[in-house]
Amino acid sequence: MVKAEHMQAEEVPGTAWLTGLAAWFIPGLGHVLLKRWFRAILMGGAVWVCFFVGLAMGGHLFDLSSEGSWVILQVPPMIANLGTGALYIVSWLIGYGFADDPVRAARATYEYGNTFLLIAGLLNYLNMLDAFDVAAGRKP
Amino acid sequence: MRHFLVMALFAGLASIVFGAMAKDSTRERLIYGLKVFAEFMVIGLVLSWILYFIP
Repeated sequence: MVKAEHMQAEEVPGTAWLTGLAAWFIPGLGHVLLKRWFRAILMGGAVWVCFFVGLAMGGHLFDLSSEGSWVILQVPPMIANLGTGALYIVSWLIGYGFADDPVRAARATYEYGNTFLLIAGLLNYLNMLDAFDVAAGRKP
Repeated sequence: MRHFLVMALFAGLASIVFGAMAKDSTRERLIYGLKVFAEFMVIGLVLSWILYFIP
């Protein structure tokens, strides 16, 4: 009986899902919608800075453009990059940041740039989860 | 020097997010963020010295 009560699914309001989606799509927007201004600037700002510093250092974003069986190796980093939401989508639409040419790869900061871009997406997934938890009332 | 600054920037950005989403009070968050930052820096420096001696 007690176990069954514990296993009962927790009710999550629909707005929490929308807030999470907004937080993913535009870094910081989730916390803005929750009126957590300071947290939005800190957490969202960190993602924006990480993303643009990554691009400025010559890093590249991953997609599924590789041919053959190697394409499977592109999936994990692409999932990480996709965490930046609209930043990734806009870059993909305008075709900026996806080139993996030798000149770019020769830059000393190339790998740093890749890492910053990957981490920007992963940090935004954390932002998204935080915004979701706050909207669902699980966190203050 | 540039490598160190990039590492510090990386540690700073990551620790901001980690610190902001952890703990309950502002003071605890600040302390946790600083702790994460210090951990990133110390581990980064230790790893770089280990790799320095590996040919």
